Amino acid sequence: MPDDHRWAQLHLSHYVDGELSPRGRRRLERHARDCPDCGRAIRAMRALVYAIQGLGGPAGVRAPATIFDRVRLAGGAGSGPPERV
Amino acid sequence: MTRPLAGQRAGDQQDTEARLIARAKAGDAAAFERLSGAYADRLFMLLLRLLGDRGEAEDVAQEVMLRAWRAIGSFKGRSSYFTWLYRIAVNEANRALERRARRPASVPIGPDTLQLPAASSDEPANRAENRELRAALVRAMDELPPDLRIAVVLRDVEGLSTQDAADVVGVSQAAFKSRLHQARLRVRAAVGDAALAGSGA
Repeated sequence: MPDDHRWAQLHLSHYVDGELSPRGRRRLERHARDCPDCGRAIRAMRALVYAIQGLGGPAGVRAPATIFDRVRLAGGAGSGPPERV
Repeated sequence: MTRPLAGQRAGDQQDTEARLIARAKAGDAAAFERLSGAYADRLFMLLLRLLGDRGEAEDVAQEVMLRAWRAIGSFKGRSSYFTWLYRIAVNEANRALERRARRPASVPIGPDTLQLPAASSDEPANRAENRELRAALVRAMDELPPDLRIAVVLRDVEGLSTQDAADVVGVSQAAFKSRLHQARLRVRAAVGDAALAGSGA
């Protein structure tokens, strides 16, 4: 049904993230069995999310030591006199 | 994959955090630094991912801490402190991205900000392919409008739950899911299914 197809296309992310209700999940799976386009879209969405999750970030990134500089300049810190800029 | 927020830890650590929040609200800047310093690395990583430029991420990180310090009195504890701090960071990153959009030349997300060395379990034959896929993903995410980029970074790169990510962005879960879906569709279209098919999912 065209309505099911449109609905499925809008809810692929919800499905892949496991955030559809059991009823919604059944509706999408029932449709995807007969719709190669949606079946392909589900596989592509799974692969995409997996790949993005794998991006990670550079290991061991540390915040710069200057991160509280403006707090200290604003007169917040008790740790030493504020630096002049 | 949903990682728990750092704010949701064992009870005794939450007690410590609650005490630090109370002291910070009373004007104790050292307590504020201890409280917020626990999340500094993760916050800086988020800014690096959103902005892609180390210098700009440093600048925005300092501004986030200043704003958090000035606003700590209004922190009501309705969300975790971490979520509250992240919300400030996302707002500031958004402002930085808007400023950048008004400038003629944009600074793209640099390849060094999002890339990790290939996981050791990867087969050597797959590594070049993975490198290409990673570069394509980074490019595609860089081309997203800020609100979509933030959605995919918070949910898929950072691993926040939909509820936490929606809370950080300040929209309903339904609105957040819709943004996330739009973002993923655009990245999928830019990267192409053929490249994704070899990603090992």
